[in-house]
Amino acid sequence: MSELLGTFEQSVLLSIFSLGTDAYGRAILSRVQATLQREVAAGAVYATLERLEARGLVRSRLEAGTAVRGGRARRYYALAAEGQRALGDTRRALTAMWKNVQLPTQGRS
Amino acid sequence: MSGQAPTPPRWAEVLLERLLPDHTRETVAGDLREEYVDGMLPLRGRARARLWYVRQVVSFVPWFAKEGSPMGKILLLVSLFTLACACWLAFMETLLRHPGYAERIGVALAIALICAATILVRMLHVGFRGERWLWAGAAVLIGLGGQAFFRNARAAHFEGFVFVISLLLVLQGVLMLATLGRSGGASVRPLS
Repeated sequence: MSELLGTFEQSVLLSIFSLGTDAYGRAILSRVQATLQREVAAGAVYATLERLEARGLVRSRLEAGTAVRGGRARRYYALAAEGQRALGDTRRALTAMWKNVQLPTQGRS
Repeated sequence: MSGQAPTPPRWAEVLLERLLPDHTRETVAGDLREEYVDGMLPLRGRARARLWYVRQVVSFVPWFAKEGSPMGKILLLVSLFTLACACWLAFMETLLRHPGYAERIGVALAIALICAATILVRMLHVGFRGERWLWAGAAVLIGLGGQAFFRNARAAHFEGFVFVISLLLVLQGVLMLATLGRSGGASVRPLS
């Protein structure tokens, strides 16, 4: 079993997965914000992407930039096989952890 | 209207490009510019979009700090702490309207600016491609800190915060010299 992923890492990986071939930095940032329902700092997302790529969970490729970007290239991300495995392992671990757990209703101990 | 495409604050964009490692510089700066032009500007207006951009640039500072050498990280932490102390001192002086506060605020702000400059020490190195700036910066910090220390020690009213800030300034200078001495400036080289 691979190392379990944190919430933010899961969010980034799932965003890449759901965006498919359109998963580049800006789109991932927007998707993560929509998923977590809060404003997320770009630095946090890019640092996570860098770390995930170094761990072999995602891979990236460069494509030509557009005029609005000042001609700067776009980096597209895709889930690597190891990333899919890590997501699956994390999901299984969380499901097992929550199995048969019944939390008390709000405000009661 | 000039007809030119809107762009984020130039200084912030340059700062971002200095902070980022080489292999992500172009793509990240491009993404943020795209979001600024297509996302934030129409939605929030110019002022709030610019503020958003600056906040995003600031969010890269922890990444930048993490990539640096251990000595560089200590230097960054000390610089941030000194900056916080100096700003606090300036604020308190204004609040209490201490006799002679105008002069003290000036000194505190000068210290704060110097601290801010040392936080960007690696960017200075990247920008000017030379060690002499670091040596000069270290000498200024040690000189300023030492002078503040001795002036404070001789003053009628001993100020604890001036004492702390002066020591931190000297420490920053020494750390800068240490980063230079260990690897001939290599520990403050551009990120790659």
